[in-house]
Amino acid sequence: MASGDDDVNISRMRVVAGRFGATRLVGLAGLISLLFASAPLWAQGPRGPSPKPIAAENEAPIDLTGYWVSLITQDWRFRMVVPGDGEYAAVPINSKGKQTADAWRAAPDEAAGKQCEAYGAAVLMRNPERLHITWQDANTLRVDADKGMQTRLLHFLPPPPPPGGPPAPFRAPHTNAPPSWQGQSVARWPSVGAGGGLGRAPAANAPRPDSFEVMTDDMLPGLLRKNGVPYGSDTTMHEWWQVYTESTGERWLTINTEVYDQEYLQKPYIYESIFLKEPDGSKWGPTPCSLTS
Amino acid sequence: MKRRPFAQVALACLGTVLYSSAALAQVDLTGDWALASDQSKPFQVFPTDFAGVPVNTQGREAGVAHSEEQSEELYRQCEPWSQSYILNGPFAGRFEAIRDVYGTVVGWRLSPPAYDRLPNTIWIDGRTPPSNNALHTYAGFTTGHWVGSTLVTSTVNLTDSFITSNGVPASDQETLRIFYTRHGSEMSVSGIVRDPVYLDAPWPVARTWELQLTANASLQPHYCQPAEIVSGLSDGYHTAVVLPDQMREQMMYMPRHYGIPLDGALGGTQTMYPEFQKELAGSYKRPSTYCTEICR
Repeated sequence: MASGDDDVNISRMRVVAGRFGATRLVGLAGLISLLFASAPLWAQGPRGPSPKPIAAENEAPIDLTGYWVSLITQDWRFRMVVPGDGEYAAVPINSKGKQTADAWRAAPDEAAGKQCEAYGAAVLMRNPERLHITWQDANTLRVDADKGMQTRLLHFLPPPPPPGGPPAPFRAPHTNAPPSWQGQSVARWPSVGAGGGLGRAPAANAPRPDSFEVMTDDMLPGLLRKNGVPYGSDTTMHEWWQVYTESTGERWLTINTEVYDQEYLQKPYIYESIFLKEPDGSKWGPTPCSLTS
Repeated sequence: MKRRPFAQVALACLGTVLYSSAALAQVDLTGDWALASDQSKPFQVFPTDFAGVPVNTQGREAGVAHSEEQSEELYRQCEPWSQSYILNGPFAGRFEAIRDVYGTVVGWRLSPPAYDRLPNTIWIDGRTPPSNNALHTYAGFTTGHWVGSTLVTSTVNLTDSFITSNGVPASDQETLRIFYTRHGSEMSVSGIVRDPVYLDAPWPVARTWELQLTANASLQPHYCQPAEIVSGLSDGYHTAVVLPDQMREQMMYMPRHYGIPLDGALGGTQTMYPEFQKELAGSYKRPSTYCTEICR
């Protein structure tokens, strides 16, 4: 129940509203609330406490688990078949890489048991294949490829601090493990608000990232193409993985990849891989590595 | 009628806060973007190379009859590509925000650096696309919305054009979905082209763009003035097509130069999937000589 003073105040407000005009009052209120709503935009610097260790599986904004089939809609004649000798189009190969590729032959490497050199991490996602993605543990995403029967393990780190904060290291911790075809991969979800908010610091309600990045090193030298295009032992790779869901229910996984190799490339080699989610693993068909098919 | 100023004020505040929140939940796409991908260079320039494109019989036949000289025809010289050229053309473009009088971003404009496709205006203010009976244009009509940090766009009302630059046609029922996800100075651009007239299945294509200050330095209004290039072809009456007796020759381009069997070169949904490698196993002939076309 309103007191007598409240009644007076309400009456005064009605008078003010009447004089000022209800429409103008509403507009003024809207303007004020707009200013308050915009306030987070102008905030600068890091926000909130530093990230705590979390289980990547529980924090994952996108679900990648299940079976995926690659769709070869780009660079078809370099991926579906073994291209001819000297066919290096669309790879920024340098002169040393070209010489090495020109001299390469499949037979000696096959005899030496190096069939999987064309299935290393630098190109594995580019092969025509199916993937089976599972969480091996709370922070490790396991990616099995049927073609070549290879397994990548993506070890998730805590998200980096928001933009403006100190840079966080993003490399696999050094181990005494020998290099391997799939190397060491670390992954992380971007910080909330990464990517900027119309050129300003991230707002509290900035969109949640729906992708994650992967950094890979400690790879054995291998082949970018089965006609001998090489990558060296110091190669590193950076990827962005993202899942898109269509209104029809189709789910697409796109991986944007950059391969860095100062030994054989003029510049980073950049390519994309597309996968479509499959309902089950009925078409899963493990086949061993081959340099000739 | 009883007036309730407090209720009106509260409603206005709530509405404005919600509207502002939606507007703030955007990633800034502004900037000059350049194509960074090495993949798919060159861009489907070979005749009758439809491998990996889910083209149907109708689309294939039209593509096989396509002549590169078509673009030299007088009335086609200034014809832009369809908006799907964002995905398979050689350029990215400049992203600019479109704001209303209050400064709220209501759309994005993606302008190409060359006269090969029209600017793509992406409305994100909730407006609905025009009726399918409305005018279909090379620009089409594009709406968008944010899903997480991804701008999802949908383009409809496109006019007849091409899906690939080597002749697979696009009908006026072509639609285009593009997902733009910015990662700092890079952007993942993934698209799905659909066309019930010429494609049997969605055709997904992905790209990587990067911010480059000089990427679109030449961006300015372009004017196209047609001029006679091929004598006798551009008279306004004749149309450049590959005649039936030359189609076989054109179809054999990929088998002859790259050893790709005709079943693969002519495309189709099956050519997108890994299983198709088995069909290629017995018919692919690996070129024994060094290639002489589009090689480094």
